[in-house]
Amino acid sequence: MRSLTAWRMVRHDRASTAGALLGVVSIVFLVGQQLSVLFGLLNYMSVLVDHSGADAWVTSADPRNVDAANLVPGRIVDRVRGLREVEWAEPVLVGSGLFRTPDGSFESVRVVGTRRPRLAGGPWSYAQADEGALLDLDAVTLDRLDLPKLGRPALGSGTEIGDRRVRIGAITDGARGFQGTLVFASIDKVAEIAKTPPGRYSYVLVKLREGTDHATALARLRLLLPEYSVFDGPELARRTRAYYFANTGIGGSFGFSTVIAVLIGAVIISLTMYTAVLGRARDFAVLRAIGGRKRDVAVVVVAEALIIAGIGIFIGFVMLAALLNATGGSAIPSFFPSRVAPILGAVTLAVSLLGSLVALRVALRAEPASVFH
Amino acid sequence: MATLTLEAIARDFSDGRQMRRVLFPTDLVFTPGELTVLAGPSGSGKTTLLSIMGLVLRPSEGRMRLDGQDVTALPDEAAAALRLSRYGFVFQQPMLIEGLSVLENVRLAFSVQGARTPAGFRKQAEELLASLGLAGTGHMQPRLLSGGMKQRASIARALIKEPSVLLCDEPTSALDAESGQTVLEILKRIALEGERVVVVVSHDARVFPYADRLVKLENGRVVSDTREGSPAVQETVA
Repeated sequence: MRSLTAWRMVRHDRASTAGALLGVVSIVFLVGQQLSVLFGLLNYMSVLVDHSGADAWVTSADPRNVDAANLVPGRIVDRVRGLREVEWAEPVLVGSGLFRTPDGSFESVRVVGTRRPRLAGGPWSYAQADEGALLDLDAVTLDRLDLPKLGRPALGSGTEIGDRRVRIGAITDGARGFQGTLVFASIDKVAEIAKTPPGRYSYVLVKLREGTDHATALARLRLLLPEYSVFDGPELARRTRAYYFANTGIGGSFGFSTVIAVLIGAVIISLTMYTAVLGRARDFAVLRAIGGRKRDVAVVVVAEALIIAGIGIFIGFVMLAALLNATGGSAIPSFFPSRVAPILGAVTLAVSLLGSLVALRVALRAEPASVFH
Repeated sequence: MATLTLEAIARDFSDGRQMRRVLFPTDLVFTPGELTVLAGPSGSGKTTLLSIMGLVLRPSEGRMRLDGQDVTALPDEAAAALRLSRYGFVFQQPMLIEGLSVLENVRLAFSVQGARTPAGFRKQAEELLASLGLAGTGHMQPRLLSGGMKQRASIARALIKEPSVLLCDEPTSALDAESGQTVLEILKRIALEGERVVVVVSHDARVFPYADRLVKLENGRVVSDTREGSPAVQETVA
């Protein structure tokens, strides 16, 4: 009956319920939206690592992130291949250049060179054409979402990157990097564009044989190449994300806006519930007078907060899902891991309960004697 | 059946600077089957006395016994449990909880502490509402009822547990004459039929004819205590 009383109060006091709901929805939606952009950017940071399909990455010694690795000599590819645990090892070369747009202006791009025919570290999803296009020495890929920025060059059209002639051979889908537009090409073309010394690469990607113990294989690789760093994919991705998170201001910026969103929501919840309970002070005094204990009043107020939080969290997630659905295929980075949803829900619930504490204090102060005028 | 005994009950209030006595030592015994009216002008101490009797206010002095049990200084939880099990209250305003239907307001008297309502509650409640002239109103929201109907609904909330003590604070002051008369007739019937202690606080002279016993207070003191058809048992001058 106490929960029913709370439910009826929530339904009856529509203005205050709407206000408190606004606070809860604000927390879920605003924080969820912030997090989805943050996770979208985090994905961009480690996009090459996450989609490489490699079990290990060999880089120059102790790079701060995957984009800050120095060049390594090509001979280590053959040394790595010599290990019996290794199925294949392929070099990848990353550089940068200026892309000439159809209107004659230039746009900075990041070029990623992969070796034929395996194209390890290359594109993973195509909007137009396919990986066969990269078997052509001059072919490059552009991403669907970068086309407007690059002047919408047509598939098959020619242009220049770093004064080198290239042809748009394929359009990728979702291959975007944190440091800018990603353009995939053959490793030789990238060496021309980036003007790197011959036989030097950015990384060596390693695929281990099936059934191999990864930790043991990585240890053997480290032993074989003590002057280089060997990472498994998730480790390198974590290192890259942590670097950008801590050093670009993204962490502080998103943390600050998230805290502000939570605080605004908490204040809205707190004020509206306080007002609602103040308006019900006489009813809580009646409950006490007819035999209710302080804890019964507390149950009603907490149940009200839980009901409002439950409805608000549901509405907030529906709105967030609609937003993610709408921005999913757009240039706005948005990704909301499913494991974060229960955490956001629990945090919102906790904030809602905290927001109801002021209201609870007011309700508990209701004196049963006050019902006698 | 219950007997409520007050022994030298007094109450002081602080006005922030000094203590002020609003109820002087009072001895009263309330017996079942009797409708007692506590009358007196505003500030005479009748509401303070009612609050003490209803276990929502502790006396500064004296003892109160319910069926011989000392209930003067019960802890909050024990007082709440006793109010729930033995008492019924009718307030000056009906004080039904908006948002709950009439039936749900009545149900609160059973389950305000979270207990399940007993089997047959609905039938019992509907019969009680019908006996108070509220047949078919159980599903209605209180705001849809007239003032008199609301007050009768609050009487139903007070009576549903068949309390041994029914305390009413100016139950007719917010009602028109006809509704007030109906409510008083109901209270009179409840006292007689249910063998309950029924105490009504009022300064409305129209209430007095319904009293089996009339206790008058002035300036915190009982100045007269008379029973219907008998001389005053106590007549003092304040």
